[in-house]
Amino acid sequence: MIPDRLESNLRQGFRESLLPKLGLVLLASILIMAIFAPVLATHNPTRTGYLDENGNSYPPLGTSYTTEIGQDGEFVEVEVESTSDHLLGTNDIGQDVFSRLVYGARTSMLVGLLGTGLAVLIGVPFGLISGYYGGRVDDAMMRIADTMLAFPSLVLALALIGVFGSAGFGIPDPLTRFGLIDGMPESTMLPGTVTVVVALVTWVWFARVARGEAMSVRNEEYVTAARSMGASNWTILFKHVLPNSLTPVIVLATIQVAAVILLESSLSFLGFSGTTLSWGYDISRGQGYQRTSWWISMVPGLGIVFAVIAVNLLGDWLRDALDPNIEGEGGGA
Amino acid sequence: MQGADNTSMDRRTLLKVTGVAGSTVGLSAVAGCLGGGGDGETDEITITLSEFPDTVDPIDHITGDYFDVFDHIYEPLFNVQPGEAPEGRVVEDWSHGDGSVEMSLRDDVQFHDGQDLTAEDVAFTLQRQIDAEFGPASSQVAGLGSIEGAEAVDETTVEFQYSGAAALAEYEFGNYARAMNAEWTREQGGEEDAIAGSSADIFNGTGPYEVVDFTPDTKIVLERFDDYWGDEAPFERVTFNSDTESNGRATAVETGSSDMSINVLPQDTQTINDNDGTEVRRVTSFRNIFCVMKNESEPFDSQEFRQAMNYAVDNQAIIDGSLSSFGSPMSQPSPPGVNGHNPDLEHYSQDIEQAEQLVEESGYAGVEIELTAPQGRYLNDAAVAERVADQIDQLENVSCEPNIVDFGVVSDANSAGMDNYEIPFFLIGWGVITGDTDYAVSGFFQEGGGVQTFRDEELDSAITESQGIDDPDEREQALQDINEMAREKAPWIFLHQQESIYGIRDDIEWEPREDENIWVWEMNP
Amino acid sequence: MSIGKFLVKRLLQGVLVIWGVITIMFALRAVSPGDPANLIVGPAADPEIRDQVREQYGLNEPIYVQYVDYVQGMVTGDFGYSFQSSREVTTMVLERVPATLELAIAATIIAVVIAVPLGVISASRRNEPADYGATLFSLLGISTPNFWLGLMLILLFAVFLQDPMETYLGFSFPQGRRTVGFGEAVITLVTTGYAGDLLTWVRHITLPAITLGTYFTAMITRLTRSGMIDEFGKPYVTATEAKGIPYVLIRYKHVLRNTMIPIITVLGLQLGTLIGGAVITETVFNWPGLGDRLIQALNARDWPLMQGIIVFIALGFVLINIAVDALYATLDPRVTNE
Repeated sequence: MIPDRLESNLRQGFRESLLPKLGLVLLASILIMAIFAPVLATHNPTRTGYLDENGNSYPPLGTSYTTEIGQDGEFVEVEVESTSDHLLGTNDIGQDVFSRLVYGARTSMLVGLLGTGLAVLIGVPFGLISGYYGGRVDDAMMRIADTMLAFPSLVLALALIGVFGSAGFGIPDPLTRFGLIDGMPESTMLPGTVTVVVALVTWVWFARVARGEAMSVRNEEYVTAARSMGASNWTILFKHVLPNSLTPVIVLATIQVAAVILLESSLSFLGFSGTTLSWGYDISRGQGYQRTSWWISMVPGLGIVFAVIAVNLLGDWLRDALDPNIEGEGGGA
Repeated sequence: MQGADNTSMDRRTLLKVTGVAGSTVGLSAVAGCLGGGGDGETDEITITLSEFPDTVDPIDHITGDYFDVFDHIYEPLFNVQPGEAPEGRVVEDWSHGDGSVEMSLRDDVQFHDGQDLTAEDVAFTLQRQIDAEFGPASSQVAGLGSIEGAEAVDETTVEFQYSGAAALAEYEFGNYARAMNAEWTREQGGEEDAIAGSSADIFNGTGPYEVVDFTPDTKIVLERFDDYWGDEAPFERVTFNSDTESNGRATAVETGSSDMSINVLPQDTQTINDNDGTEVRRVTSFRNIFCVMKNESEPFDSQEFRQAMNYAVDNQAIIDGSLSSFGSPMSQPSPPGVNGHNPDLEHYSQDIEQAEQLVEESGYAGVEIELTAPQGRYLNDAAVAERVADQIDQLENVSCEPNIVDFGVVSDANSAGMDNYEIPFFLIGWGVITGDTDYAVSGFFQEGGGVQTFRDEELDSAITESQGIDDPDEREQALQDINEMAREKAPWIFLHQQESIYGIRDDIEWEPREDENIWVWEMNP
Repeated sequence: MSIGKFLVKRLLQGVLVIWGVITIMFALRAVSPGDPANLIVGPAADPEIRDQVREQYGLNEPIYVQYVDYVQGMVTGDFGYSFQSSREVTTMVLERVPATLELAIAATIIAVVIAVPLGVISASRRNEPADYGATLFSLLGISTPNFWLGLMLILLFAVFLQDPMETYLGFSFPQGRRTVGFGEAVITLVTTGYAGDLLTWVRHITLPAITLGTYFTAMITRLTRSGMIDEFGKPYVTATEAKGIPYVLIRYKHVLRNTMIPIITVLGLQLGTLIGGAVITETVFNWPGLGDRLIQALNARDWPLMQGIIVFIALGFVLINIAVDALYATLDPRVTNE
């Protein structure tokens, strides 16, 4: 399915630069973290109360801090030491920060992949039909696309969640369900509304790309030939037009995964995601503790940065090898 | 205000002066001193709130931060001390009749727009608070449960009607009676009496301060009202602003851009104490933090289950973890110091085995529940709720998830009444600011109470009975019995009394109040 | 097609889009669960009062009448009244626009000022340390969520470095709501010669502007770099070089100009990201702009306010895109023939 030339471009890109390799390694580690979270986590990520005898959070290994506690109505300064039980410390309610980092990868990856997949499923058929039929159909469909594009994606996502609320549902975790691992959550919360919403706000980019591809092949000889041989429009669309648009869609999808991860973390940060086990949510949790417990918000942020870098590096590699002219919306939000 | 008072010259005055004289280096130097209010020599104070009032109508809300601002403009008719009977302020004298009280008002009280205060104004304001026919619904009705109406007898005499005991009515009007100008309100508010606007003219009270500058949800600047009837207030100029982040409020005090910050979180106290010239002051407040369990929905209809929830929770661990060990576990609806608090009651202490046993008995073993809680309304509220949910989740036979939402959602659930079970289990706080047990229980447990979340005939009739008792000692005993009954019936997960924590310039004399009120007239610069 | 005709066509399309936005917002509200009267007077209110409120807000009318009323209101600039504060939505939106504009413009200026030179250096010193540095920077820049970046900047400058900065530099970056707007500060400066307000404003906006601007800086750096590398390979560059026009001149005049065209297009497309980024940056820094107010409106489920803000943002977005198209058309006349 992948033309030879592209394949050799890909190989060449991979050979010549360190960056795609780095991206692959990073992404693989994060995926492993997400899949084997129950094995890698040292503590149940939702369990609270890992605090010292005065109720203070532990700092990351090798660091310490001072804070104030109340004793007999007075403020008393105490020093809090780290413990090897909690590599990256614990947060304000005593959850293990490392375990939450590991589990947070699940939420990000699930929403990133499912959300982008859903956007492809909506956007590609839309764009193909629009570009293939052209004329009035195309005009009408492109006005719809323009309307969608007139909303900044974060703003539209917020509006949709404002209307529908943010529901999540649990996906059973086979590793814990079958008793292979003990003491970890039995299911992972997928922020359902958020997944659908990110798809609803990003599909337009896929529609634009698919439309462009459909337009470019509409009058190609093999398509007109198929048509004159009596092939139905649907057959042509799926047999001839769709395969042709796959390459740019794959490139765009890769880039969009990064944008979706950022969008999900933004929504979680703002408290609209419906799950509390998410990097974005943990960053907002740490916001109130910056003066004493900087690690609470710093660690999950690094998780996001590494995940997005990984995806972006792969996206760059694919884009350079396949098609340099694809625009998606960035994830600056 | 003139002559030597140069440094407190406000920026508008400065603009006027320099607009005529042209700009000079000397004037810029003066302006340089105006930046912060924190240098101790100026006759002004800046107070940073955690929530800026989103309304300009003083009777619209029942929220502490709002009273902190509006009480200076629309003064209370009485002075109150927590747990004590009210003292006259705008009201000089009052006497109880049969289910009514006649109050005589001072005759020298003026509104900021120059009109005189009349009995008609006081009656009108009360009607607005308790009767939705008059303008928009006010949530202050919750605090005026036994007050039924008001009318002007003559220019300076007003009569309130009430049901129940005189002492109860006093707690209520002592805290919630205010005065707005009837004519002005009707003019401004149109048909609905809805007061809304974004300029300094949209305020008109009789308080010691008048508004000179107002930027919606950013800042409000007050200056002494020259024609105020009473003692001159301690600062010439008072500015209220807000910062929703506690560390921002702490920084504001430390850097001197603010003289006082309210609702400082425990994790931000250290740097304020360490900083030169600032300190933290605190008091255990009358504000209870607890989790409501509406008892007409499953599984909360079982008393065993509700008690099990209380046994599942480790109050002290939560206080240590989220409140820096300040705050005390809650044993009953009334905090200590409130009339009717029962000193013999112990708080439920954590007992996992007993909790699991009780869940088993309730028949709800294996149930999944969700605890809804606000973020940013009470001290580390979301964190408290997450710990509560996790502690419940650790029971073998119950699973519990926290759901953190905006305060408005919780507040609506609290006032949704008994027929609405969308959110049956939520964390909320209630300040017993009148200092009387009735305010802690009647709204929640009585039929038709403003925030009824529990239906129980025995408890309800006990409260009703207590409301008719005139003898103070007898009433106190009745209230103590109610507290004991409420502990047993466990309508809530009793958590703790919260701390009020303030960051303040250390040369300002002021003691924090248990009822959370911040009144500049109680301070000394 | 002339530029004039092109613009008229784009404007008509813009009107259609705005109508679409208004309709979507109306539809969202119509399908949103819950009785709007609840949001206004609370769920426990008397049925009578509830009815009164429904009447007053026109909620008892048939849905198409509500729709027509609603569109009419939007067209005449009457966005209704906020559920929460009873104020006019139009005022509540407009009073927040300056702060958001300040932030967006400051961020864009930072981005362009840093990114274009960085991209040029990176492109003309390919595979040298400067290029690697710029590439790494831009990779980090597009991969960092800006709310986290904002928090880390606060941690660094307003927590760790605040005291040293005050001691050695005499200033620091304040936290908390900005106390003075750019407009007011400039008026003070012009009328009184007092520059303190303006300096305060600068100290307040620095961290938010860097937070919002970093993503764009990174992106423009990438675009400039790859655009210039493409242009260097084109025949006209080699040709002009042969004619003896100095290399430096070619680089800056022709190559940069041609590189700017795709950059402007992409920036137009990325405006949504800028606005989305502003929403969240404002929340982090307590910046009194539209985004801050939008989050408040969402939290309070204040529909009229939320609709007003979103429609306004979409309107601004569409207009700016048309302006970008016009700019694009002037730079590259081929566009209008498409």
